[in-house]
Amino acid sequence: MNRKTSYLSQLLLFALIALSLSSCFSPNVQNQNNPTTSVGTPRDQTLIVQNFDGKTDNADIMNPLMGNYAIWRGFRELGWGYLWEMNTATGQSYPELADGMPQVLNPQHTLFRVNLKHGIYWSDGVEFTADDVIYTLDTYFKDKSKLTYFGVPVITSYVKSYKQLDRYSFEVETVNPAYDFVTTMGVYTWGSAFNIVPKHVFEKQADIAAFKNTYPVTLGPYTVKSFDPNGYWQLWQRRPDWQRSAWGWMGEPKPKYILYKDFGTEETRTLAFIKNEYDVDTFMSPDSIQAAQAKNPAITTFSPTMPYNDMGDACSYGILMNQEKAPLNNWQVRWALALSLNLQSVGVNALNGQFRASALPMSDTHILRPIYFTPLLPWLESFKLPDGYQPFDPNFATELTGKLKSMGMSDSQLPQGDQAISEAFGLGWWKYDPAEAERLLNSVGIKKNSNGFYTLPDGSVWQPELVIPGDWNKVMERIGFSIGDSWKKAGINVNVRQQDNGQFTTVQNTNSLLTMELNWNSCVFNANYLNSWRSIQPENLLPANSTSSINGNAFRWNNPTVFSLIKSSEQMEENSPQFYENGRSIIQQFIKDMAYINLMNIPTTIPTNSYYWKNFPKQNNYYAAPYTWWSSFKMIVLHIQPTGK
Amino acid sequence: MGFLQYAAKRIGVYFLVLFIGITITFFVPRLMPTNPIDNYISQMQSRAGQTLTPEATRQLRESLEQLYGLKGSIFTQYVDYLKRIVLHFDFGPSLSSYPRPVSEMVFAALPWTVGLLLTTTVLAWLLGNLIGLIAGYFHNNRAASVLEVLGVVLYPIPYYILALIVILIFAYVWPVFPLAATFPSGGLTFAQFGTILYNSALPAMTLVLAGFGWNILSMKSLAYATKEEPYAVFARLKGTSDWTRMTSYVFRNAMLPQITSLVLSVGTIFSGALLTEILFSYPGLGLLMRTAAGSGDYNLLYGTITMSIIAVASAGLILDLIYPLFDPRIRYR
Repeated sequence: MNRKTSYLSQLLLFALIALSLSSCFSPNVQNQNNPTTSVGTPRDQTLIVQNFDGKTDNADIMNPLMGNYAIWRGFRELGWGYLWEMNTATGQSYPELADGMPQVLNPQHTLFRVNLKHGIYWSDGVEFTADDVIYTLDTYFKDKSKLTYFGVPVITSYVKSYKQLDRYSFEVETVNPAYDFVTTMGVYTWGSAFNIVPKHVFEKQADIAAFKNTYPVTLGPYTVKSFDPNGYWQLWQRRPDWQRSAWGWMGEPKPKYILYKDFGTEETRTLAFIKNEYDVDTFMSPDSIQAAQAKNPAITTFSPTMPYNDMGDACSYGILMNQEKAPLNNWQVRWALALSLNLQSVGVNALNGQFRASALPMSDTHILRPIYFTPLLPWLESFKLPDGYQPFDPNFATELTGKLKSMGMSDSQLPQGDQAISEAFGLGWWKYDPAEAERLLNSVGIKKNSNGFYTLPDGSVWQPELVIPGDWNKVMERIGFSIGDSWKKAGINVNVRQQDNGQFTTVQNTNSLLTMELNWNSCVFNANYLNSWRSIQPENLLPANSTSSINGNAFRWNNPTVFSLIKSSEQMEENSPQFYENGRSIIQQFIKDMAYINLMNIPTTIPTNSYYWKNFPKQNNYYAAPYTWWSSFKMIVLHIQPTGK
Repeated sequence: MGFLQYAAKRIGVYFLVLFIGITITFFVPRLMPTNPIDNYISQMQSRAGQTLTPEATRQLRESLEQLYGLKGSIFTQYVDYLKRIVLHFDFGPSLSSYPRPVSEMVFAALPWTVGLLLTTTVLAWLLGNLIGLIAGYFHNNRAASVLEVLGVVLYPIPYYILALIVILIFAYVWPVFPLAATFPSGGLTFAQFGTILYNSALPAMTLVLAGFGWNILSMKSLAYATKEEPYAVFARLKGTSDWTRMTSYVFRNAMLPQITSLVLSVGTIFSGALLTEILFSYPGLGLLMRTAAGSGDYNLLYGTITMSIIAVASAGLILDLIYPLFDPRIRYR
């Protein structure tokens, strides 16, 4: 061996030894007996969650009156307080800052009195009072042209006048009769239009819109301890006086620290999860969850059996169709599309069968099922198209279970019994019947050519476009391609086009660009469907090839019966039997017209790691939805316990 | 034509390139079928649980049109845009992160990008050329062949795969570095230098590994060819030492095209390294550009692309002006 080679070999050996020694002193190994997080807090006192949005570009903007503040860093869950919150387990509102439900002061339902709880304090020690509420309302109205938070135009078009009565009460008059006062001034599903800000801080600012509010004064039991200015992580610390916070009356939040962090791509997230570097993920793919579980038994899904994941999200995936554009303006064509879609195959190919089908234009959840799904089941089973065909398949869930079993899934992985099967996979969906689809299409002059593809009455091949998300939503991407495959097999020469995030909404909102889009346009969380369907009105319709953006009625649905039902629902209490009945009637119209091909609940894949924390909400331990970006997170931090590791 | 005349002409071309680049940058994003207002409203719709009323949507749209400055003809907006850039280097507020100024976002990301990419580009160049030089000069030596194989093996590996391998080895199997970077609060400061270095090590290592394969192969070929030039053969016959021949004869001449490649690479670092930033959760210009393109944020696109144009044009200008320092045969006439 010559000198150079010998020198090189010694150098290489030295480098290897140095690297080995350095691994003994790396933070990961050094602190195994007393682990700390990467931000220096004790690991056993820190709950670590994966960011919902990865990275934020506005890490230091914590002003809730500006739309682009770092909203996904836990402000809504840990920092702010709301007049009324939403119990995600029941879909019912409960008072948080308010002392009880509002008093309705007139029969027109436009005047309300709200009393506030006493003894709630901002994190800087100043008491929360009606002064803050009135100041916030004043700011909403005074600066509405500058403030970009969505709630500002909502509240300013909803509230007519307001006045403070005393330190702990105020009155609000609404523009129109309001039966949704609690969910508009408070929380409906995820967020609230009304973010109350501290008067004593904001009134000192020259320009509210330019005020960053970094390290804000909070009403919640946590304050921001530190954050990454590049937007990858944020650390919250429990207030010493958490009992005086907006929801301190509910109990002690268990983690002393909560860290929101981005763990990178799916691959690095999976590895970090296996290594117990964080506790709750957000929308991890089923394949990665499976890989992680194989390496770390502390990682669990919502349920031990299929479909493994919680299906309680307010929104559902569906196919949005531009009903203004021919041939989609024919109900026969829309129904043909639904009957040509093999949802079983789509769900198995795209989601490994981990989905719950929903034929109604909403998610099939434990909250909505007793109100809308179960009462409508007899109607669905007997429902016929005008040609006498019965499209509903009540055995969808059972057939799917059989399919999964034939693919090799064991009984222990599958739900057992009719009840469990329907809770897992839904109450049914539309039949996969390309023959009936062909009859419907033929009836409007769309016939198959010699190549097996449908042609329009003018002889040209029918090539509808289906826009799907690009890789910014991998689950929907896979579903979209599977749907395209299903339709092509049935003879519909669909062009599936991926679209980037920015253009996706432009397509949704522009008639000239939209033919069909895989989207989540129906978000009904509790019985109040108006929040999602209120905009289905004729004034929101635009011409078929309009290049202007729509402001509502994303379904492009022109149905006078529905318009009238919605108008009458707006005059009803949202929990009244008549309100529910109107809702069911609207659903029936949705189905008769096939105004929106609802597919499934959004599968929310939220695996947890119970190495450091236990008692996360699961199917057999259900006290809240398992999402870290909803009000449910408040329940989670109250209920979880340290494992002592 | 003397040097001064050449420099003046060259600088004139430089400004012309900038003007054309900035103009194209303004108009091309406007051709995208993206509406930043729609994109913002959709985000708000999502946060409102799809419950934004038509009235609220209309109001929000009107406010945003006013705030974003998208009113007026496209030509008026172009003239305003040119004025702002030339007089104040101001790209206005980011539309997706309103009201944060674009320049604030760009200058916050710039040190991270420049720090990482400049270091790794130079390091990959130095290492790659050194190894390539040895492999080319001692091409008959078995050890040199091993070095060449290193280049051949590394070069075709897709960056994504290489990065995952590095992560697996050095952050999972052998946890020397973190799986997900945690840059300290307070950003890029000297006090936090150690932590920043530690968290930047993996992305840096991957970039160097990905970059020096090409340098090994190209320098190896150049060194091999240059070694056989008559002046190099003459030096060998004269009895000049291997070291002197390798450095002063072979490397000195073979490095000329490599210098060009280095300077142009340095120019392109201002585009960021998107894959690196995504894979390693590393802040930088690449992700900013990606966000801008995805959300139709015209102002942010203008800011990031203009930085890139200025950097590449400047790199070309600097290269043209300093080249005689490396190649004394070049003179400006």
